[in-house]
Amino acid sequence: MKAIILAAGNAPNLTPFSDTRPIAMVRVAGRTLFDNTLDLLKQSGIHDIFVVVEHQKEKLISAMGERDEDGLNLHYVEQGRSRGIGRAVLKVKDKIQPGEYFLLVYGDTLTAQNIFTKVQQSFHSFKAPVASICLPPSNQMFGNVFLNAQMKITRLIEKPKSDNLGNYVLSGVFILPASFFNLLEKNGANMEKALNKTVQEGMYASMWEDEWLDIVYPWQILEANKVLMDSWQTSRISKSATLEANLTIQGTVVIDDGAVVKAGAVLEGPCYIGKGTYVGNNSLVRSYSSLGNQCSVGYGVELKNCVVLDGARIGRLSFIGDSVVGEGVDIGAGSMTVNRSIDLTPISVKSGKKSLPTGLSKLGAFIGDAAIIGAGNTIQPGMVVPPGKTWSACYSITHR
Amino acid sequence: MCGINAVVGMGNITRALFEGIRNLEYRGYDSCGVALMDEKSIVIKKNIGGVEEFFRKEHVLEIKSQMGIAHTRWATHGKVTRNNTHPFASCDGRFAVVHNGIISNYRQLRDQLKKEGHSFDSETDTEVIPHLLEKFYKVTKSPEAALVKTLHLLEGSFAIAFISSYDPEHIYCAKRESPLMLGIGDEIKFIGSDFNAFIDYTKNAVIIDDGEYAVISRDSYVVKNALTGQEITKPITQLDWDSETSKKGGYPHYMLKEIYEQPQTVANVLGLGAAPLDELVEMIYESRQTHLTGVGSTYYVANFAKYVFAWLAREFVPATSSDEFVSLASVDADSLVLAVSQSGETYDTLTALKFAREKKAKTAAVVNVMGSSIARLVDKVILQGSGPEICVISTKAVISQMTVMTLLALRLGLKKKVLTKKAFDRHLAELGELPAIIQGILNERSGFIHRIAHRYAHTKHWLYLGRGMYYPVALESALKMKEVAYVHAEGMPGGFLKHGTLALIDDSIYSIVFIPPREDKDLHQSTLHCVEEIRARAGFVLGIHFDERGKNKDLFSEELILPPVSPLVAPFIQLVIGQLFSYFTATTLKRNVDKPRSLAKSVTVG
Repeated sequence: MKAIILAAGNAPNLTPFSDTRPIAMVRVAGRTLFDNTLDLLKQSGIHDIFVVVEHQKEKLISAMGERDEDGLNLHYVEQGRSRGIGRAVLKVKDKIQPGEYFLLVYGDTLTAQNIFTKVQQSFHSFKAPVASICLPPSNQMFGNVFLNAQMKITRLIEKPKSDNLGNYVLSGVFILPASFFNLLEKNGANMEKALNKTVQEGMYASMWEDEWLDIVYPWQILEANKVLMDSWQTSRISKSATLEANLTIQGTVVIDDGAVVKAGAVLEGPCYIGKGTYVGNNSLVRSYSSLGNQCSVGYGVELKNCVVLDGARIGRLSFIGDSVVGEGVDIGAGSMTVNRSIDLTPISVKSGKKSLPTGLSKLGAFIGDAAIIGAGNTIQPGMVVPPGKTWSACYSITHR
Repeated sequence: MCGINAVVGMGNITRALFEGIRNLEYRGYDSCGVALMDEKSIVIKKNIGGVEEFFRKEHVLEIKSQMGIAHTRWATHGKVTRNNTHPFASCDGRFAVVHNGIISNYRQLRDQLKKEGHSFDSETDTEVIPHLLEKFYKVTKSPEAALVKTLHLLEGSFAIAFISSYDPEHIYCAKRESPLMLGIGDEIKFIGSDFNAFIDYTKNAVIIDDGEYAVISRDSYVVKNALTGQEITKPITQLDWDSETSKKGGYPHYMLKEIYEQPQTVANVLGLGAAPLDELVEMIYESRQTHLTGVGSTYYVANFAKYVFAWLAREFVPATSSDEFVSLASVDADSLVLAVSQSGETYDTLTALKFAREKKAKTAAVVNVMGSSIARLVDKVILQGSGPEICVISTKAVISQMTVMTLLALRLGLKKKVLTKKAFDRHLAELGELPAIIQGILNERSGFIHRIAHRYAHTKHWLYLGRGMYYPVALESALKMKEVAYVHAEGMPGGFLKHGTLALIDDSIYSIVFIPPREDKDLHQSTLHCVEEIRARAGFVLGIHFDERGKNKDLFSEELILPPVSPLVAPFIQLVIGQLFSYFTATTLKRNVDKPRSLAKSVTVG
């Protein structure tokens, strides 16, 4: 079976990180969502994969190049100027033979266990189109998939209006026949309408009960990181990593090639230290911290539940908690992401003019790629720093 | 639905035959049998009971054989007796047949065969097949030719497999409408109702289509058209999915599958027809005292029945847990003991019924498994027809039993003139809507229940409160929580709370309150009182109610709002919520949902 990964969208809600990359290229727990999807597809027996790209496509295309030797047949298709999921799917029409079934997956979803194996099992049982469905624990996520006892989908409402409806949602993984393209064309490339037509013709559900995430907002990068780290069974320390004396290591920890962890550091797993990354003396890396490749963490830094992307530098005696730090960000010494309000009321993320409620009582900042934060800054909870932005250092004693 | 399988191989195949038929047990499990080729003669073993029980009791695994067929039965009509159990043999014992399906013209065929001197041991349709094979073998001297001649005579649906001592190396099978496939291994071949019969041994399957028959030996197989006799080249299908998933019909667990089957099983009960119910109502009416008994979930069904009998028929029927029945109940020739049991094999309930019979009391039972010990013991049995329940935790069987009890109470109420015909009809119409209402709950509320269960999954102590009919609902829901999620949950009548337990309430005790519809005014009010009592002590309350959103502002810590329904069906809906709540708590805590630790499906020990 062939698979189609939809990875063209520009995901405005994921700013500042989507400004400079497609969602699929977000890296958590040492791997990108894209790599995670490819690995799960491969394990489930799928090798022919088409990726629909557009927004920041160069990054995805070069990532695909790195996977070339992996026994996968990877091809990309550009979405071009057309918009919407339906049009993205139609771009792959000529790659699928009439009568053939294909697996469709939205590139912004994440599971740790293999959802693709599960959906193929359901497909083989029902011998009919299949949609994977799940119950996410979050409130806002309800859709409505109506089922009968034989798991046949009887009705599909993607965004129910009534607050009395709360049921399974589509989890963004489908197995569809080639004739689905015709349904899309007949319905103005409207995905929802074409799916509803498929339901009328007979579509079954594949229930997914393990963790599942649709990454829409920046704080969900932290959830994705947690989902992947929770699936780790064992620790792994690369042969080429350097570990100095008096380290404390607890829980599941992955330390990648060429990483250096200096004396006195404490690593509380699960946590990930990327390739060639430097962790300074007496640093405290608490659980659910993911440090990308070639990062530098200075003396006495505390990290907690955070994702730090490749090449970021965090100056000595800083605190980064419940935050995401972009690629090549430079944070000056003694800086702090404040991660709670005084009364622990839930934090909203301020992005441009928008204020997005998160429901989380602990949340730090989201710092876009290549931003520079001068020494001594304290950053307000829920702050979004655009890519490339410079904040000057914060001095209490100056020349003036 | 029944399951059949067959194995032919190099070495001893008895274990493979056992594992295959055990994997088909989800298709039914009231009786089981095998026919094994021993040198040049056929050995048949069969008995009533589940697959594992049968193999153990009959010491089947100790028999060594290179070829055999097996059958597991789920009777839909016809008694469950040893005589009615497959396989069936011909008069001379040289053919043994297993069959899944219905031979619709078996009466004519049997009459004809009897005239020709064949004798029959069973009441089944299947038994004509071995006799036909025997008859045609005498003419054709070939089991295959005899099969083809037999197939031409059979009407109806079937998947059959047979062995013959005339040909101790081949197994024959044929199919029309009922499912059948071959498993192709190296030096071993299989036949099964579906691939669960052999998936542990081979992933190569050949699907047999209608009107085809096949002959297999350990190193070959051939499929032919039954009409033309022409050989058909069939593709080998690679099975790349595991047997558990397919047996569960795509559901992650049997428990959820069975919860989703409830609209159908309730509809099955509603379609039972008046006659069996009225006969039992007559017995209740004639008795001086009726005792209800059951144990575990069925004891709570009996408790629920106690309330509906009081309400709809103004009849007090005490419910006693069957493990305590002998110490408590005083029964005599004027009493009726009405038992509830899913498996019909529950040791404690069986003991209670035997005790009742010793005391000359009349006995009756509501059971799911036809031909079970309890079904055979009692004077009057009602088969609830819920189909096999595989998950150890009972869900669909309980809701169906509650429906049976409500129907009995309604009919008794009508007979005693407590209910007018009009009221009776209205209530019956309300019950008639229950399947659709449950379907609606499953389709429209699962997400809310999941969210709440997910959020509070790590709660250590739950208090389940309900008044009136909602008290047994609270008890049963709490039992589900304990069984499947291993979380402490205590069911209690709402009014009981302030007489002691209230002292326990603080912010670490979580309560669920089952609130009746507002129509049931007094019960609704008094139930809300106990919510207030808990809230005043900083206790957490999840309110499950039928009121409009915002009507109970700030009263609950969390609420789950159900669509408005009549008071008669409300407790059923509340229980469905209780089931889902424990299911989602268990999946969040990654429990072994279908086989919880320390529990077995039917408790046959004292």
